[in-house]
Amino acid sequence: MENGSTTRCSDKSGTLPSCAPLATGYVPFQQKTPQRYDQCDALSNGTLFPGLNLPFHLAVPGSKLPAGNRADLQALCFVVAELGLYLDTHPDDAEAFALFKQFAQMAKDAKAAVEKDNGPLMQKNTANFDSYHSWLKDPWPWNYEENEVK
Amino acid sequence: MFIYEKKLQFPVKIATPNPKLAAFIISQYGGPDGELGASMRYLSQRYAMPYAEAKGLLTDIGTEELGHLEMVAAIVHQLTRNLTDEQVKADPAFASYFVDHTAGVYPTAASGFPWTAASMQSTGDVIADLTEDMAAEQKARKTYDNILRLSDDPDVNNVIRFLRQREIVHYQRFGECLRMVQEKQDQKNVYLYNPAFDKNRPAKG
Repeated sequence: MENGSTTRCSDKSGTLPSCAPLATGYVPFQQKTPQRYDQCDALSNGTLFPGLNLPFHLAVPGSKLPAGNRADLQALCFVVAELGLYLDTHPDDAEAFALFKQFAQMAKDAKAAVEKDNGPLMQKNTANFDSYHSWLKDPWPWNYEENEVK
Repeated sequence: MFIYEKKLQFPVKIATPNPKLAAFIISQYGGPDGELGASMRYLSQRYAMPYAEAKGLLTDIGTEELGHLEMVAAIVHQLTRNLTDEQVKADPAFASYFVDHTAGVYPTAASGFPWTAASMQSTGDVIADLTEDMAAEQKARKTYDNILRLSDDPDVNNVIRFLRQREIVHYQRFGECLRMVQEKQDQKNVYLYNPAFDKNRPAKG
């Protein structure tokens, strides 16, 4: 699907067709095997790809991401989702798909660890717990942790 | 179908309530370029898409936008928790929201205009829809830029920076999707017919 020249552009650039029809919009295709952040930097930056990280000049450094197995899970799930969108438009990138499988497995393991500590992440998984209250229990994701919970 | 996961895509933990901030961040919940419109736009447009890659991308980005909708709601909820009457009275912008919604989360623009499907489109035309989606990502990116201009709370800005960056990644993917779609059209004239509606590809362009 990537057309244009066969030489590799810089990581911040992509490929365009050399002769393109008029009156059509073109966004350069991101090249295969783009540079990547690790999962924590990916979540913190809002993208897995340094080439796509284009911050606003007033984007002052934010507060630190919380540590813990829930944040680890969020980072792993984020990489899976980000690779998924990349693969939607690059379905033939075998290396990216191998990475997708690897991160999906890591996210699955992290999910099991979070559920063991905090209770089910999905209603149906409550079947693995002793009490249905494990699904209902506070805090829910939008709560400011237990500070808010009576 | 959709199944709920009891976690946010990105952590939202705002130490200091601030109803003034909440009164304009609510625009990304129910405003013209907000996350509700984004999810409805993409999840509605996918039915007319004739190509598998476009169906997949609209489903996956539309689903992510539902997660962003929840994150924006979490910001508004945490910014308006444990307020006193005095704090409400002190901020006129929030007070006018408060009179109708108390500290509930309601899809409205910062201007007070309630969410409307009139701010989005589902045209049934592949190129028109994907071009609208690219514009929508830019308009949402602009709103997040403006929130960063108005907010000095690092806990809020951390989340806003993340959401803003997602708009840029989605813009890239919609642009790539538009390229893929155009390559499937008549190469002399990509506007010769609408593959979502005209069942038979014309013989020549």
